[in-house]
Amino acid sequence: MKEKISAIIIGVIVLAAFIIPFTLLKEVEKWYGSFLFWLILTLIVIVCNTMLIKDWSNEE
Amino acid sequence: MNVSLIWWGLGIYIAVSVFIAFLSRTGKQTNMGAYFLGDRKLGGFVSALSYSATTYSAFMLVGLAGLTYRGGVGALGFELIYLMGVSLIAFFGPRFWIAGKKYGYITPSEMIGDRYQSKAVAIAIAISNCLFLIPYSAVQLAGVGYLLQGVSNQQISFSTGVIIAVILAIVFAYIAGIRSVAWTDSLQSLFMIIGSTLIVLFLIHELGGFTGFFQQLETSHPEMLTVPGNGYFSFLTFIGLTIPWFFFSISNPQVSQRLFMPASLKSMRHMLLGFMIFGLIYTFVSIFWGYSAFLLEPGLDNPDLATPVVLSSSAIPPVLAVIVMVGIIAAAVSTIDSILLTLSSMFAKDVYGNIREDTTDRVQLKIGKFIIPVIALLAYLFAELQLDLIAVLSVASSAGLIVVVPAIFGAFFWKKGTAAAVLASTIIPGALVLILELLQAKPFGLASGLWGLILSTLLFIFVSLFTNAPTQKANEFIDYIKENLQNKKR
Repeated sequence: MKEKISAIIIGVIVLAAFIIPFTLLKEVEKWYGSFLFWLILTLIVIVCNTMLIKDWSNEE
Repeated sequence: MNVSLIWWGLGIYIAVSVFIAFLSRTGKQTNMGAYFLGDRKLGGFVSALSYSATTYSAFMLVGLAGLTYRGGVGALGFELIYLMGVSLIAFFGPRFWIAGKKYGYITPSEMIGDRYQSKAVAIAIAISNCLFLIPYSAVQLAGVGYLLQGVSNQQISFSTGVIIAVILAIVFAYIAGIRSVAWTDSLQSLFMIIGSTLIVLFLIHELGGFTGFFQQLETSHPEMLTVPGNGYFSFLTFIGLTIPWFFFSISNPQVSQRLFMPASLKSMRHMLLGFMIFGLIYTFVSIFWGYSAFLLEPGLDNPDLATPVVLSSSAIPPVLAVIVMVGIIAAAVSTIDSILLTLSSMFAKDVYGNIREDTTDRVQLKIGKFIIPVIALLAYLFAELQLDLIAVLSVASSAGLIVVVPAIFGAFFWKKGTAAAVLASTIIPGALVLILELLQAKPFGLASGLWGLILSTLLFIFVSLFTNAPTQKANEFIDYIKENLQNKKR
């Protein structure tokens, strides 16, 4: 995956992580509210990282 | 908790880690690169565990758990956004690594100084890092002091805990430099994660499994599952806490120096992904720990005491409690020893090496080794001052370090950045952060770190536009990295 695309995707996810819990999920007093939302976003970011760096070689 | 059980737990932990530290003494560490960077030959597995142990400190099971106790799920968001910020390594990691290999950099401040062609830059960054990281270490030491005092019901004094932690940190850093730090870190990271995961699973089981656990929260304390929730995590508080930590992986030299160390980019890849998985698990463990404390012992005035109170309560079998206690101490010590090593390398390389003309690598190494206990002593004195609320002070340190971020971005991505701009953008906002922290002031509701970052970005850009950039170096540095970035990928 290209650096720029990854940077944009991760940037959007981080923005969502700041905004959504304070707006859309503000009233959802359940485990599947902000709690699950932040977990899912983090998992997506880890997958993005995995794809972005999968080509890093073992050349010293 | 039984005091002799505590001493047994500590004794076993100390014996095993000191043994590991001695085992790590292979080869001769007669130069700066060997002592402080492990000859840039660290494998992926050790790098990942050591990076985790260095990053995660006593803050997690004490401060973050305390934040959860105090304000609910916002603490999870704060810590997970930090973890997302570690993605910066995917962008900056290879750049640090390639530049470090090409120019032989030992410290991040040396790299920034050389990139902007200014000794003053290296000196200023090294000194400001010391200024903020010594209090950060002190907070860790104090964490150990409070913990031992709390779990032993005042039978082990605060000072005893602090002294044990400081001596261990010096020993682990001293025996074989980064080699002993990395090995003991790896062991300590296992202490941290295994013990705490076990106990959290035990607690959740006791509180009725995951279903029962969340049902209790949803019915009795629903505000603990939303932000702003009970009001603690207002949006401004949340971003004030979170943004400085978002940049932690490049702004904190004890972790950014690690980017020079992996043997290859493949090792760095293992380091990054291994760390992210470790971090995700450890974050959830700390949050569940905070929630459990809240359900078991609600109504404490000082949330930092939640952890010691729960550990010494009857809800937890004493042996499990001792394992977690050792895990927390390991988390603190593994952070402090890395900071000691990084700061002493910065002092030797960037401060001493730039002020004294014609110093050799050997002399710098001597100075670096000499300064390790000196920095430890300073942290010890700071810890003895016993300042309040661990989370707030830790964040104050990240707030102070964040001012270097624009200069780091500029080093790799903006050829027009200048040395004068780096100096202005680190010294002035650094001083501002210090003043705001001392006055406990939050102009317009924004925390010191945000002011630091905003001012430092503006100053970096504006001063650069009116001063001369080291064009030749900037071109050579950025172009070299660009070329090699392509080659290093398969």
